[in-house]
Amino acid sequence: MTEPAFFILTALIDNPRHGYGIVAEVAELSQGRVQLKIGSLYGALDRLVGDGLVELDREEAWQGRLRRYYRVTEQGRDALAAEAHRLAANARLAAARLGDQRSPITGTSS
Amino acid sequence: MSRLEERYRTLLRLLPAGYRQEWEDDMVAAFLESMDTGDPETTAYLADYGRPSLSEAASIVSLAVRLRLGADASPRSRRWGQAVRLATLMAMLTHAVLATGGVAVALWYSGKLAWLPAPAPELMLTGPASIWSTTWDLAGYAWLPAYVALVLGYRRVAQAVALLAIAPPAITTAVAQAVGDVPLTVSPWALLLVDVVLLLAMAAFQHGVPPVPRRPWLLALPIGVVLVALPLFILQAVEPALRLLDWPGLAGAAVTVAMAVHLAVRATRRSTRTLPWSLAFTLLAATAFALRAATLPDYHDQAQRAALTTIASVQIVAILAVGVPLAVSAVRALRDTPAATSPPTPAP
Repeated sequence: MTEPAFFILTALIDNPRHGYGIVAEVAELSQGRVQLKIGSLYGALDRLVGDGLVELDREEAWQGRLRRYYRVTEQGRDALAAEAHRLAANARLAAARLGDQRSPITGTSS
Repeated sequence: MSRLEERYRTLLRLLPAGYRQEWEDDMVAAFLESMDTGDPETTAYLADYGRPSLSEAASIVSLAVRLRLGADASPRSRRWGQAVRLATLMAMLTHAVLATGGVAVALWYSGKLAWLPAPAPELMLTGPASIWSTTWDLAGYAWLPAYVALVLGYRRVAQAVALLAIAPPAITTAVAQAVGDVPLTVSPWALLLVDVVLLLAMAAFQHGVPPVPRRPWLLALPIGVVLVALPLFILQAVEPALRLLDWPGLAGAAVTVAMAVHLAVRATRRSTRTLPWSLAFTLLAATAFALRAATLPDYHDQAQRAALTTIASVQIVAILAVGVPLAVSAVRALRDTPAATSPPTPAP
């Protein structure tokens, strides 16, 4: 799973969001580290929709435009859970190797 | 529609029509919202004078390349994507092989390879080296790491290193031609243009396309050096007549021979996997033909004009004789490939 796809799914877990809503949420979630460009957002979104991980929730009129809201599917939740599990396992591995140094997972010295 | 929206929609035309039909309005809405600063005056100003930022444009270009040539493209576009990648690899391989061969020959001439028999004095045909030609030669060697990086999957590294191979010759050529050190000629610029196209074509190796099979492409490097580059340099050193083959001439000859071999292989092994190769050779043949034709005026002031023009004409005929039948058969085979897959549709 690419990083944009990972963050898009994460942004959609609590609420359906529209295109820019996803960009803003991802920026906030990552504390400004991940600034999705519109091309990368829709490049990832069309794949997620194609793979059935994300689907259209509703369309709403806003300032004369139609905003499309997307929501994550059950399959999307499962995929994100699996990816989060994999990343956490990797992070634990690195943290264990780092030994008595500060653990990046818990943020405390182990 | 604001000027900003018009500009963004123009940029989105890079995307395939089917994709735009599905996503364009949504993308425009998201983009315009991203340009909303919260201050009505600034937002109104941006609506008139704002432009999509370079990084926004780059994200659209990269999406367009993926959709048109990459894993998500229609079967027909995917074949073209494969062809562009194969042609790019072959052209880069040629650069890398000649650069490595050049290093080996330079070392041999300078006596650094003591275990080889010393070259005969008349083989040392290097003229008085100027700072320009030295820079040029050194820059050319960057094609070797660029090729290796591309094969290993480091596309951006490859592009950055290739830029090192392209920029110095561009500057030295411009300066040398401007001050009159060398006559104004088309050749160096035509070759540079091909290199720039090569640099841009590396964009076709983006994320998601199948990786380059490493072993054969890396093996091709030493094989090419031993079987092509070294014999070529030695032959040119021994037989002055062969020096009449300039770089566009060599490229044309190489492409013609490669196409002939490809046609022979294809005749014995009927396989659908040969189509991207046929398309790739068609691209290379078209480039070699254009290069040869564009550089012909440079012969105008040469002493051996008649001989050079005759050789070039033979090359053009040879490229066309092998290239046209290959291109026709490749395009026919391409027609049997489905043009498009259905565009992605959001679930209701």
